Amino acid sequence: MNLKQFYKLLLFIVLIPVLSSCFEVIEEISMKNDGTGDVTLTINLSQSKTKVASVMLLDSVQGYKVPSKQKIQQELNEAVAYLRKSEGISNVKSTSDFTNYIATISFSFKDVSNINNITKNILARQKIRATNSSSYTYNKTTKTFSRKYQSIGTAKTEFNKLKAKDKAVFNGATYTSIYRFESVVTSSSNPASNVSKSKKAVMLKSSITDLINGKINVSNTIQLSK
Amino acid sequence: MKKILFSFSLLLSFNLAKAQDLVKKIPADAFTVATIKGDNIFKLMFVKDFNESFLGKKLLTETSKSLDKNFTSIEDFGINLEKNMYYFNQLSDSITYNCFLIPIKDANKFESLIENKQKKFTQQGDIRTMIMPDSTSIIKWNNNMLYFVTGSISSSFFADSAKSARYGIKDVRFLRDDAMVTDSVAIDSAYAITDAPMVEVIDAPPVVEKVKVQKKPVKKNTKKSVRTKKAGKKKTTKKAKKTQDDTDFDQPVALATDTAGNMAPDDVDEQYDTYQQERTEQDAKKKRLALVWMTAQADQIFSGNYRSIETNKSYTESLDNKAIAELWVSSLQDAYNAISPTFGSYGKAGLMKGYGSLNAKLFMDNKSFRISTGMELSQEQADSYKKILNRKLNKKFLKYVNSEKALGFMSYSIDTKAYLEEFPKLLKQTYGSFMGAKMDEEMDLGADLISLLLDEEAVSKVIKGDALFVINGLNTKEVTYTSYDYDDDYNQKEVTKTKNETLPDFLFMFSSEDTRLINKLIKYGVNKNLVSADGNIYKVMEKKSPIDIYFQIKDGIVFFGNSLAEMQGIQNNQYSSNKLSKMHKQLLSKNNFSFLFNAQNLVGKVPASEIGGEETAKKFNSTLEKMGNVYMKSNPIKGRLVSADISAEIPNGHENALKYLFSLIENAAK
Repeated sequence: MNLKQFYKLLLFIVLIPVLSSCFEVIEEISMKNDGTGDVTLTINLSQSKTKVASVMLLDSVQGYKVPSKQKIQQELNEAVAYLRKSEGISNVKSTSDFTNYIATISFSFKDVSNINNITKNILARQKIRATNSSSYTYNKTTKTFSRKYQSIGTAKTEFNKLKAKDKAVFNGATYTSIYRFESVVTSSSNPASNVSKSKKAVMLKSSITDLINGKINVSNTIQLSK
Repeated sequence: MKKILFSFSLLLSFNLAKAQDLVKKIPADAFTVATIKGDNIFKLMFVKDFNESFLGKKLLTETSKSLDKNFTSIEDFGINLEKNMYYFNQLSDSITYNCFLIPIKDANKFESLIENKQKKFTQQGDIRTMIMPDSTSIIKWNNNMLYFVTGSISSSFFADSAKSARYGIKDVRFLRDDAMVTDSVAIDSAYAITDAPMVEVIDAPPVVEKVKVQKKPVKKNTKKSVRTKKAGKKKTTKKAKKTQDDTDFDQPVALATDTAGNMAPDDVDEQYDTYQQERTEQDAKKKRLALVWMTAQADQIFSGNYRSIETNKSYTESLDNKAIAELWVSSLQDAYNAISPTFGSYGKAGLMKGYGSLNAKLFMDNKSFRISTGMELSQEQADSYKKILNRKLNKKFLKYVNSEKALGFMSYSIDTKAYLEEFPKLLKQTYGSFMGAKMDEEMDLGADLISLLLDEEAVSKVIKGDALFVINGLNTKEVTYTSYDYDDDYNQKEVTKTKNETLPDFLFMFSSEDTRLINKLIKYGVNKNLVSADGNIYKVMEKKSPIDIYFQIKDGIVFFGNSLAEMQGIQNNQYSSNKLSKMHKQLLSKNNFSFLFNAQNLVGKVPASEIGGEETAKKFNSTLEKMGNVYMKSNPIKGRLVSADISAEIPNGHENALKYLFSLIENAAK
């Protein structure tokens, strides 16, 4: 038995079999008044790093293949390459931290509508169907920022088909969206959203399970002072 | 005098009781015997309690419903619940019998069960027989016992046309020429068998003396097969009559070629229809033959004289009068030969040579469920294993098990030197024949080569062959992780937060007399930065590992573990031996292999947040609470028998394991 096999054996014994884990997905958009802006997407699994590290040592878990570090890095690189080619997108950067299991992608856009469909397309390239359709618009004249979000019904049914054990993975996972502006926010239509003390940012936090199940809608129309 | 008389009568009644046990009726060549011991079961649970239990009620209402009667007790079925029920099977190259022997208390009650279903039975003396509507099984009973037999014909036997021909059965294939050939053979020998049915046959199933029984159906068979035959009918009939008493296979083959030559080309569809028709016919014939054989076999059970399984030493030695159920399977080697004659030379040449009969016994008492399994080995093998297992667990290990906290442990002890020496022999015995006789030399050579390359003595000093893995409880460890805080502008700020993680503390140890090699390895590891040293405790520098692993060598024991505190405790002699319970001590020190899981020590120890919420945690804990100690152990080899036990203790507050089982079923059904 080599060391790796020994580890694997240990992990099966040591690892508590239920893989409920906490992770967060954060989407930040900083809008300038002229309609340009920056996006940062973060996936942070560091709260579950013991479990993730354990899982990474296994070939598959609960019937799913566990991607290697190289594979994850490669896919991240592919996403970056795709973004660089996308219209209106510039300054694409990515970071990955395999100690804390945090990955980010950031880029700038000319118009916020440039980012519509990007997530969907990236997911599609990985052969993952998007769980929602989402589009952003910013009207420079009325100074209205809006996000239209529609969860896809099939996502919910697909999700409910998963075994309880697999669903548990999403327990405690959160989705946070933050929009920052140069002007003061006068109103934010989504009641679940919070406006910052400085009145220049809006945050909406929800659990991923609620999002998939359609219990929460992250659509929002934000009116900025003229 | 009275005393003598009393003891005499006691002896008599004991013998009488024994004589009535249906085991007498099981033939000595039974391959598998399973027993359910009614008396032992109903000692644990009164019949009344069973009737009132969830399972009992369900059984009674269901049967009441389906038979349109009103049963209030399982005694209404007429079965003698205080006696043993048996299942056995008999294998031969041509048919397999599956048989049940059930003691009867009240035959009338039993008959009322089946009468209502409008099934008829015949009666001869006090023996009543009923053939199931589809003729695949027979029920036969008298006032003491019920016998149920169902037989299945072996297809591989009847695929051999020469053999099947003896029974007037042909192997029909959808291939014209072939079919023709076998056709003629079939007809020919079908006749041959009519007047001298099966007497000459040695490898066919037993009990053939009763010509009367068999004559009828066989005759029928032949008639039918003749009717279906058009070409060559007369010829074959004649020939067949000539060869009545000896089966002559040369002639019909010659004849077959004749008839085949005469055949005009057929429409394929038509041919297929004929094929289908013939197949059905042949299947019906096989079925009838099976019924004939079954009838004979059942008659034998009731009125025949034969050696019973009680004369089989392997069987009788496997019994335990405390068990509530038993299973015995005759030797594995026999099983290989009987089940797969197609293995041909491999099977016959002794694959699995040396592995004898198997047995399993189920016990239930006021403390636990226990399954005991055993396997007979050949003397050669038993001797090998005895040498290998001639080692006890290092006594120094025992002080590192804390019975109050331990979630579980696993230990084994073998003699490495004996293992290395005996292993090639064992391998050869088990698989040698599979490789074929030609490989014998190579295998010998291989065994010698291993001996040459390995210095068994030296290896056994480095790894003596005993090891213990123990989880001495759970430990909560503070871990840091990265999260974010947001300022007044909702600007992200990376912060390090902490949370508690519960992980089991494991400790693995093995004995080593000669630690020089291991020390060298450690030195190498330190030099290559694979290992970091802190005094005598070393840490594996594996970045990918989610847990820390430490190791050390102390008092001729190599330790591995994930708790630094535990490691330091070992280093500083902080462990004393008084924390081991008597039961754990026995389990560990008396057996070559042991395993224990103590669910009680896990109840409520894992924080709800780590199992996925309060609800899951509740379920998790309530399941654990219902579990007692579960443990396994190997027993010392007795004679040629290796055996192992698995036990599951029942929690306090339950009368016995059977009642506990019923309460579990009842809870699960709610």
